[in-house]
Amino acid sequence: MLSRVADNLYWMSRYVERAEGVTRLVEVNRDTDLQFHANENRRDYWQSALSAMCAVDDFSSDEINDHELFILFSKNWSSSVLTCINMARENARMVRDQLSEEIWVELNNLYLFLNSPTLPEQFRTDPENFFRRIIRFSLVFQGLADATIHHDEGWRFMSLGKYLERSDQTSRVLDTLTFLGEEPSRLDLIGALRSCSALSAYRRQYQGALSLRNVADFLLFSRDFPRSLRFAVSSIDTLLHEISGVPSGNFSNEAERLTGSALAQLNFSGIESLLADGLHESIDQLQRKLIEVGQSIFETYVLLPFEIKNAGVAPMVQRQMQQQ
Amino acid sequence: MNPNFFENYQSGNFFDEMFAGSKKAKAYDFYQPIYDRIGDLSESEFEQKKKQADSSFLEHGVTFTVYGDDKGTERIFPFDLIPRVIPDVEWQKVEQGLRQRILALNLFLNDVYHGGKIISDGVIPEEVVKTSAHYRKEMIGFDVPQDIYVHVCGSDLIRDENGEYLVLEDNARCPSGASYLLENREIMKKTFPRTYQKMSVRSVEEYPEFLLRSLEYLSPRKSQKPVCVLLTPGVYNSAYFEHTFLARQMGIEIVEGKDLIAIDGFVFMRTTQGLVQVDVIYRRLDDEFLDPLFFSEESLLGVSGLMDAYLKGNVALANGIGTGVVDDKVTYAYVPEMIRYYLGQEPIIEQVPTYLCWRDQDRKFVLENLSELVVKSANESGGYGMLIGNASSQKERDEFAARINENPRDYIAQPIISLSRHPTFCPEGVEGRHVDLRPFILYGEDIEIVPGGLTRVALKKNSLVVNSSQGGGSKDTWVLSK
Repeated sequence: MLSRVADNLYWMSRYVERAEGVTRLVEVNRDTDLQFHANENRRDYWQSALSAMCAVDDFSSDEINDHELFILFSKNWSSSVLTCINMARENARMVRDQLSEEIWVELNNLYLFLNSPTLPEQFRTDPENFFRRIIRFSLVFQGLADATIHHDEGWRFMSLGKYLERSDQTSRVLDTLTFLGEEPSRLDLIGALRSCSALSAYRRQYQGALSLRNVADFLLFSRDFPRSLRFAVSSIDTLLHEISGVPSGNFSNEAERLTGSALAQLNFSGIESLLADGLHESIDQLQRKLIEVGQSIFETYVLLPFEIKNAGVAPMVQRQMQQQ
Repeated sequence: MNPNFFENYQSGNFFDEMFAGSKKAKAYDFYQPIYDRIGDLSESEFEQKKKQADSSFLEHGVTFTVYGDDKGTERIFPFDLIPRVIPDVEWQKVEQGLRQRILALNLFLNDVYHGGKIISDGVIPEEVVKTSAHYRKEMIGFDVPQDIYVHVCGSDLIRDENGEYLVLEDNARCPSGASYLLENREIMKKTFPRTYQKMSVRSVEEYPEFLLRSLEYLSPRKSQKPVCVLLTPGVYNSAYFEHTFLARQMGIEIVEGKDLIAIDGFVFMRTTQGLVQVDVIYRRLDDEFLDPLFFSEESLLGVSGLMDAYLKGNVALANGIGTGVVDDKVTYAYVPEMIRYYLGQEPIIEQVPTYLCWRDQDRKFVLENLSELVVKSANESGGYGMLIGNASSQKERDEFAARINENPRDYIAQPIISLSRHPTFCPEGVEGRHVDLRPFILYGEDIEIVPGGLTRVALKKNSLVVNSSQGGGSKDTWVLSK
């Protein structure tokens, strides 16, 4: 398939996944914030969320000065829900011939909804409905992607985008717990699990009181929960090998090598050794590796070999960096 | 019971597509099912159907981009629910005329780039051809694949006061609109299924197959299945929807300039599995943007080295390079002569009489009669660069007179033809609006024309300009099979 098309499909699905993650985060934060206020324990929970999303500078320079509205509707920040959906649609528009009609219609409808002049009013009167709509859209989108298009190379690039974004989201959520400046409370831990839609799944594995150790263990190492880091990285590994046709356990490009190494770490190191190295440091290291994976996918499948060193293609690389 | 929507319809002093006679209007027999079905809709049924159609266009993203808007706002192309009907016999004649015309245009292009017999025989002056804005001297002596220059042609047709079809202009570069023709049909089939069935309307769905077939016919590699692609200027182009639509329907890749790369006289597309050689490019980009090396335009849309590959015969382009000569409205004036010269036939479809301002006598006449003529710039399209004499101010006429005197080659004038009208839903009920017809003629191994075409309608009252950029809309066109 065309390299650019692979790139567009990958980003389209990354942006949809990101919109869902960011929406969950806001929804949960709102709730946690409410509880803290009720307990008269005022802590700047929004600030730590912004730190984990690397958005502190963007927020301070944006014309929107409400945290929540910024995260949802900023036109300037590349990960606001509004920007994500606009970008997802923009990417989809460039590859409409690859998508099923249903996918396009769903995405386009959400785009029209988010850009309608009555949206601020609708959000004010019924924020719950707004959150539900975005999350539901993302789930419908994933369902349609699985049920209405060929599971061919294009679909694999879409899935890659989804799992890379998901691994990024989950690691950031976990990272927010390290930005609090104090031991995370029960509410913080519940918030983190709910942000990954993982509360009831967690409860089935660990009964009783919540602990940072168990929550981190679950979100990082669960083998079969679809939003854990290990699950996502394992899916990325499989997809990459399906795309290249190289047997698993070997590698034919940098993306496969890095993913394999990250997967080995998640498969064979445990929570204890990770905590010993420092939770934030370990997450940071994993995150950097995943960013490199994204970069190498781009270099392997989108650029031509002689272009990687060539400064002449700067615009395309810049575009990629912007989106990261 | 509601009154019939058409009951108080006034066809006025125009040729009306649906109604005979101007006083007590009577629908032609072939329109009767539409008179009954659509006319008898209640106000709310109509509203509902209209809403259904509009939201279907918007949801499916059947939109065009309005330039000069920083957000690249997309709009739907306004659509009218009353279809235009063309009886079988009438269409047959139009079809023959269009075939004849595309043959003559191609023979002419082949001739002017290969010695120009038509020029040396004194049929058309050399001046006219060589000064045409889209004449490409680089094409002299080059043999295009299968000797076909214009593979897709949109020759706009109008009907005069007597209902006579006339060719208004030829679009032999990148005519657009075929996707609207196909989408309009989809919507109409859903909206009025029984009427559609009852009237035995000829289908238009084969267009993408015909198009692909005429592209494949050009492939320089005969030993394998040709790799055809559609080259688009990109997502911000006003016709981008159409490009993706057609590519999807044909099952070929839609590429932008940056997806292609020319290496040693061959063109490749970049894929995740490496480079793949391309045989035929259906390009929706004007000549001068295709190759920055060749046309020395500062264009980011094109592919450096594409023209080299084309001139070496390693890749085919549709349409060919240099076809714009026949879009020139001065060349247009000579098409009837071309038909006589190359084919030894009389034109089957007449065209609008045209005064050429570079001829002293014509210019004198034009300048003296500006208020009764339409003046057009020879090389503009989309309804721009036009003066409609009887609707213009003295100041506008003076401006055009000055422009004509300064550059007579670039201006032509034609009598004002009051285009035929068609009943159309308007804010105050059903009223007559002027229409034209853009058929799409495909020239490959055979000439294929899907029945009908895109009927464009000037939605503004009394307006004669049907272009979408100037407030035009469209209708579905139903050619009947009996």
